[in-house]
Amino acid sequence: MGIIIKNICKSFAKQAVLENLSLTVGKGEFHVILGPSGEGKSTLLGIMAGLIQPDYGDVYIRHQRVNKFAPEKRKIGFVFQNHALFPHLTVYENIAYGLRARGINGKKIIKIVAHYLKLVKLQELHNRYPFQLSGGQKQRTAIARALAFEPDALLMDEPLSHLDVLERERIRDELKRIQAATQVTICYVTHDHSEAAALADRISILHRGRIEQVEQPEDIFYHPKTAFVAEFVGADNVFNAELVRANGDTTTFNLNSPELTGQLEIEARTYPVFAGKTEQKLCLHPEKIVVSHTSNGKNSFLVRIIDVVPQGAVFKVTGEISGLKLRAVVPKAAFKINSHTEKSWFCFSPDALHPLCGRSCRAAISQRACNNPKFLL
Amino acid sequence: MDKSPKVDQMETKQFTLFDILLTLLTVIFFAFIILVFLMLFTAVSANQLLRQLSSPLVLASIRISLQTSLIVVCLTFFFGFPVAYLLSLKTFKGREFLDSLIDLPIVLPPLVSGLALLILFGGDGMIGKILGHWDIRIIFSQKGIICAQLFVSAPFFIKTVKESIAAIPKEIIAASATLGASSFYTFRRLILPLSKNGILAGLAMTWTRAMGEFGATSMVAGCIPGQTETMTIGIYMNAMSGNLEAAVAVGIILLGFSFISLLILKIRFKRSYGYHY
Ligand SMILES: Nc1ncnc2c1ncn2[C@@H]1O[C@H](COP(=O)(O)OP(=O)(O)OP(=O)(O)O)[C@@H](O)[C@H]1O
Ligand SMILES: [Mg+2]
Repeated sequence: MGIIIKNICKSFAKQAVLENLSLTVGKGEFHVILGPSGEGKSTLLGIMAGLIQPDYGDVYIRHQRVNKFAPEKRKIGFVFQNHALFPHLTVYENIAYGLRARGINGKKIIKIVAHYLKLVKLQELHNRYPFQLSGGQKQRTAIARALAFEPDALLMDEPLSHLDVLERERIRDELKRIQAATQVTICYVTHDHSEAAALADRISILHRGRIEQVEQPEDIFYHPKTAFVAEFVGADNVFNAELVRANGDTTTFNLNSPELTGQLEIEARTYPVFAGKTEQKLCLHPEKIVVSHTSNGKNSFLVRIIDVVPQGAVFKVTGEISGLKLRAVVPKAAFKINSHTEKSWFCFSPDALHPLCGRSCRAAISQRACNNPKFLL
Repeated sequence: MDKSPKVDQMETKQFTLFDILLTLLTVIFFAFIILVFLMLFTAVSANQLLRQLSSPLVLASIRISLQTSLIVVCLTFFFGFPVAYLLSLKTFKGREFLDSLIDLPIVLPPLVSGLALLILFGGDGMIGKILGHWDIRIIFSQKGIICAQLFVSAPFFIKTVKESIAAIPKEIIAASATLGASSFYTFRRLILPLSKNGILAGLAMTWTRAMGEFGATSMVAGCIPGQTETMTIGIYMNAMSGNLEAAVAVGIILLGFSFISLLILKIRFKRSYGYHY
């Protein structure tokens, strides 16, 4: 077993940060804790490492309750957000620090440090001081330092947040490689959902001091359980909807989001959870909206394009209808609107809409239904 | 050509009355300081200076000052470092109180400190009585000088070191703990090396303060020539008794020592690892 957190509560100056939080990180798992800024991610890692005392609750590492253990007794590696390298020691000595502190003999240290220098590709720079390193090199030193004493688990606090996109992707890949090579349990904190998706075996969403959902990246993204999770992972369209009538296979809703000025009717597949409830929250992934010149009948809305943001190979297109904003993601090749004020049809299949209830209450992910070539411009 | 208009304005700026006033006051102040220095160096000739330096009483005062102040520096390090360490890294009840207590000897007029020490160590004083049983006399002895200097100058060391330890990022210390280091290991390999500039600066300040100490020392140790007459006391005694030559000679030597410590303060350790500790 890896790390088990049970019913942790923590307040700072009467302000509750973590409220009755429980979490299990499996052995050898790459577990990502994803959450917005200031919601207690660092506090949670600090509690795991013993750097912060919880007000209540237990921490278990390998089935052992470690609440009373000082950080130096927990055998947990920690990579800090700002590296926290020792400024007066070289890369080599930084990596050797944990080994020397444990009184491991000199010859062994030389071998181990050489191994980790190679792992993070810093052989040539072993004599440099931290101030002579780039951000990425510092990061890799910090990772090697935390790994070198073979900890039971590695905790990483937004380690890539200060790096540029290229460097971030490179180190991300290296991290995956290192984890594959060492099989170390990793608990990784970030507020970037694409980073989380790229790295994680499982993702925990931290919100308001609790874990809102724990699942594999695919499930977090396609089966969010709450509106917060949906919006945080980029499933941008979440509607309040009022059930109008069930037609067997499909169900018709009236949208009633507060900002809406007119009446909009949409049709979704019927899910078991619809039974007996008139209010639903429905989620629509932006890439499941097709932007077209013509209507497709049901679930087609003539919107005013108010924003087009290029992002890599896609455009993020925001359309507005009766005060409601709809966000779509379309491949650049399939989108040729020049004027921001131009009107266009947003259409999506009933399959694309789903309730916020996680995988358990849903059928398998529907395929994009609006993929008829005639709708692509 | 493509200078921004702002820069042009700066170049053609007129001096205002305010600028002139600022400059004038600055010039007056520095003239004052330089004049004071000049007086010291022009008061006696080189010959007179050399003659004074071979006088046994002057030599004795230099020896006494160096001897006592260096002992004070050592004592300050051994007592002051743990104090600075505790005050900067540990949280405990009463820390704030102890923290402000450190400032007390700095703001207390040295003569008042001396008076209090005199009462404490005097024949009827609390500690004086106890030490009297063992025939140890603090008052009117070099031990008294050391006590007075320690009381007055150790806080400078403690404050400086405390600040330099507190400037070490908390994450670094936390990182050391997560790597399995005991508090002592962290102390030896992180705290000590990373605060060495502060330690050096603190020692230099303490030493200068001890060398220049007059008020408390004169109260506790009196001024027995050749025995408890430090350089500062010597300067005062000689100046008051009209022996300006001797006073100035000792004064110049003292100034030399001060420059040495100023140099230590300025240079410190050249290598800073990109950080300023
Ligand atoms: N030592 C402290 N004293 C008082 N409040 C604190 C302390 N540490 C954290 N907090 C508060 O607790 C909350 C959570 O902080 P934490 O650093 O865990 O957030 P985070 O999720 O790591 O944020 P970020 O993504 O910005 O790093 C914040 O509101 C913060 O202000
Ligand atoms: Mg944080």
